[in-house]
Amino acid sequence: MDISPESLLDMHERMVRIRTFEEEAGKLMEAGKVPGALHLYVGEEAVAAGIMVHLSNDDQITSTHRGHGHLVAKGGDLGRMFAELFGRATGYCKGKGGSMHISDLDLGMLGANGIVGAGPPIAIGAAFSNKYRGTTNVTCCFFGDGASNEGTFHEAANMAALYRLPVVFVCENNGYGEFTSQERHQAIHDVADRAPGYGMPGIVVDGMDAIAVYEAAGEAIARARRGEGPSLLECKTYRFLDHVGVRGMGVVYRTDDEVVEWRRRDPIVLLEERLAGAGLLPAEEAAAVRERVLGQVKAAIAYAESSPHPDPSALLQDVYTLATDAPR
Amino acid sequence: MTTPEAPAARQLPYVLAITEALAQSMRSDPNVFLAGEDVALYGGVFGTSRGLLNEFGPQRVIDTPISESGIAGLAVGAAATGLRPIIEIMFMDFVTVCMDEIVNQAAKMKYMFGGKASLPITIRTMAGGGMSMAAQHSQSLEAWFCHVPGLKVVMPATPYDAKGLLIAAIRDDNPVLVIESKLSLGLTGEVPEEMYEVPIGRARVAREGANFTIVAIGRMLGEALKAADELAADGLDVEVIDPRSLQPLDTETIVTSVRKTHRALVVHEAVRFGGIGAEIAAQVQEEAFDYLDAPVGRVGAPFAPVPFSPVLEAEYIPNAARIAAEARRVIGKAV
Amino acid sequence: MAAAPIGIIANPASGKDIRRLVAHASVFDNQEKRSIVRRAILGAVAAGADRFFFMPDPHLIVEQALEGLGVEAAFEPVDSPRTGSAIDTTRSAALMREAGCAPVITLGGDGTNRAAAKAWRDIPLVAISTGTNNVFPRMMEATIAGAAAGLVASGAIALDDVAQQAKTVHVRVEGGPEDLALIDAVLLDEPFVGAKAVWQPTRLRTLVLARAEPAAVGLSAIGGLLAPVSAREDAGLLVHAGVGGDELLAPIAPGLFEPVPIVSCRRLALGEAVEFEGPGVIALDGEREVTLHRGQRAQLSVLRDGPFVIDVARTLSLAACRGLFRLSPNGGTDAR
Repeated sequence: MDISPESLLDMHERMVRIRTFEEEAGKLMEAGKVPGALHLYVGEEAVAAGIMVHLSNDDQITSTHRGHGHLVAKGGDLGRMFAELFGRATGYCKGKGGSMHISDLDLGMLGANGIVGAGPPIAIGAAFSNKYRGTTNVTCCFFGDGASNEGTFHEAANMAALYRLPVVFVCENNGYGEFTSQERHQAIHDVADRAPGYGMPGIVVDGMDAIAVYEAAGEAIARARRGEGPSLLECKTYRFLDHVGVRGMGVVYRTDDEVVEWRRRDPIVLLEERLAGAGLLPAEEAAAVRERVLGQVKAAIAYAESSPHPDPSALLQDVYTLATDAPR
Repeated sequence: MTTPEAPAARQLPYVLAITEALAQSMRSDPNVFLAGEDVALYGGVFGTSRGLLNEFGPQRVIDTPISESGIAGLAVGAAATGLRPIIEIMFMDFVTVCMDEIVNQAAKMKYMFGGKASLPITIRTMAGGGMSMAAQHSQSLEAWFCHVPGLKVVMPATPYDAKGLLIAAIRDDNPVLVIESKLSLGLTGEVPEEMYEVPIGRARVAREGANFTIVAIGRMLGEALKAADELAADGLDVEVIDPRSLQPLDTETIVTSVRKTHRALVVHEAVRFGGIGAEIAAQVQEEAFDYLDAPVGRVGAPFAPVPFSPVLEAEYIPNAARIAAEARRVIGKAV
Repeated sequence: MAAAPIGIIANPASGKDIRRLVAHASVFDNQEKRSIVRRAILGAVAAGADRFFFMPDPHLIVEQALEGLGVEAAFEPVDSPRTGSAIDTTRSAALMREAGCAPVITLGGDGTNRAAAKAWRDIPLVAISTGTNNVFPRMMEATIAGAAAGLVASGAIALDDVAQQAKTVHVRVEGGPEDLALIDAVLLDEPFVGAKAVWQPTRLRTLVLARAEPAAVGLSAIGGLLAPVSAREDAGLLVHAGVGGDELLAPIAPGLFEPVPIVSCRRLALGEAVEFEGPGVIALDGEREVTLHRGQRAQLSVLRDGPFVIDVARTLSLAACRGLFRLSPNGGTDAR
């Protein structure tokens, strides 16, 4: 799998955008400035970026409750994203969805989802649609180790393989289903082991290594585009922050040592080291990217904070598509 | 489009009216496809899709694994990306294994996404008892779905409506549950050959009458009409209304009738407690309280699972005699 | 004579890499690895082994293999943290050496055995293949592999009678630690380690092969189909690949026969020095491991100083000749 310097720098910038977006979102949540709960993607950036650089707006993804990173990586507008987190009328969902339903169908992002395991059946539907309409588009289905225990995953995996659908199941195995560690929620350690049981290949890749994810995703996606059917890409990754928010609720379910150990393999630092080594991104340029992205994120937050709240009259709008609505 | 009152020479059973609606919809729109358990090669366990595989091929008439979540989720993803899926959930009881896809995904996606999504999904399913299929193959669970904003729910009682409501559902840009009646599959009636819609959200006055209103849902329409004949012998001139669509509900037609007749009874096969009859009764009382001469009556199944024994099942499912008896009781209460 | 303990290293990560996508490699799920461990233990115990040290891994392969196994033997994990990476194998091999294990049973591919040999260069091995492109370990029935290990551990068969020392490729990277490969060390025209596996023939530059096996899959097969060098021969092979070379069709991954442009090929004497120069990536036993920056050099040579690999078939033949599995008439087997 060839990887151009442009793709590498693109991937890096997407990862920095996710990290910065999430860190600032976490601060806003801790400060009580955004309503509801946020599930932050910090630590898992290499997965979203390594997949998304292969996709166009006509390729779809299904996401999870931890979905900001997926939309940022898919090219989501940061201002509209923050506006949604703030519940404003200018948000992606006009303030009706919030963090857990953030979406942009124009970008092929079929929504973050509040239901664990809801994505896989929807993903096979989008993949079915790609095939039915005679396109070479693919659908990438993000789900976690926890979701791999939902029946929906198994039904979707079976149907995807049965119909040879152009879908890539991307398991973001961060070792925890909410607060329950993987060894306490499943008797296997590699979710990829489940793939052959459905008649598709499953592979394991280092989810902290963006280049490794890029290579593996590139092959899986190309395979799907060629009509050779689904595959499962398990990315071993880690949630640097808590299940909800930054610090969570203070209940101990994982050790500080474990967190520190995983943070040593920070995916952004790893990629920057490689890019610096290859002479593609000297440290000062990497810092400049971070600085520039931080400026974009701050501007996005300012836009969101100054955006209007939804008018109460909006409450009953968008429940149904009306016959008078413009055809899609 | 024809109206229900228009004459139609041709007679067709309910089952073939469904097949015709499917076939005509698929012919007229290449984005329409049908997926479900045994819908293709076998033609549907109730025979509703016989012949479609031959005409449209396996790309558009798709046998699925027994995976209701997978089927319903497939419909959501396909609809969100521009297709117009029809899925069959073989028995209505099986919706319990795809509730998330229907209730949390299909119904809410538009709202959650700020109006951007449009999900033209038709979910066909067979409800009702009377065949000794017991508690997991006989239920009428329509009330659950009427409670969920974002869904539409229709229950065709006649072959005419079975075709017209199904075509309307397929053309609708929202998720619509089309709850068909397995005991009505052989029911024959007028069905025009051309493609027509029965508009969703409009009730039909199935029999005009002056001094009593029966609102009869789904297959109970036939029983209500029989009861009306029986009550006519008592000198009661019964108006029978078939709501056809439960969500949205044509409250206006029902209320207009009650303002005329001053008494009403709501009938459904579903369990009475918490059934859609309670909602209809409540709305009638809100909108026409001053016109009512008696509390609105309700006929529904008793609070028990659907039994297996034909004897017990006959006791369980409402029929013309029970409807007539309840009507007489309501009249007895009239002030 | 007390039996020596047997070491067990079951690599949970083997058999799962990208070659399931880009080629047609087999999948070894961890349930199958558990079964293999069970069978190997049962074979070893039947042949007289009674003590085992094993590598703890985050997947609990050996622990779960032991559940309900009901054998009369002692099992102890070596004191190695479960990181789930190749480090576990290397640390465990070092600890097994201290514990006097002889031999060590490995489940994995070339990479697993390489990780073990990094800590214990001449480790006595029964190497069972559960990897992808395997030249070093063999596909064999674990019951019999375990029995061979048991026969050696119990002293019934002497290691020297059934084991041959393997060759290695020594790799010394300028400014880096010394590394080794058991089969092949290859310079690739790649900028990054990435997904590790090697499957694109156009990226191959220089191959240093300890063994060039015509009947293998992987990079060794390239040499094998040009000028075979067996495990027994005191030589290696140097192959230059690249644009303009004559194409050789070689199975560089399972199911993947690809044309490889060959510029030159010659035998290497043991100890003869070869130099790689960056930029590029060095793959060791088929996995991209080391990035060489522009102008950075690495010195390589093939030596015969590697693991002692037990020939399972030969071990069982000797056991048969000596009647080690006969239960009667003299009461009990010698093997036990």
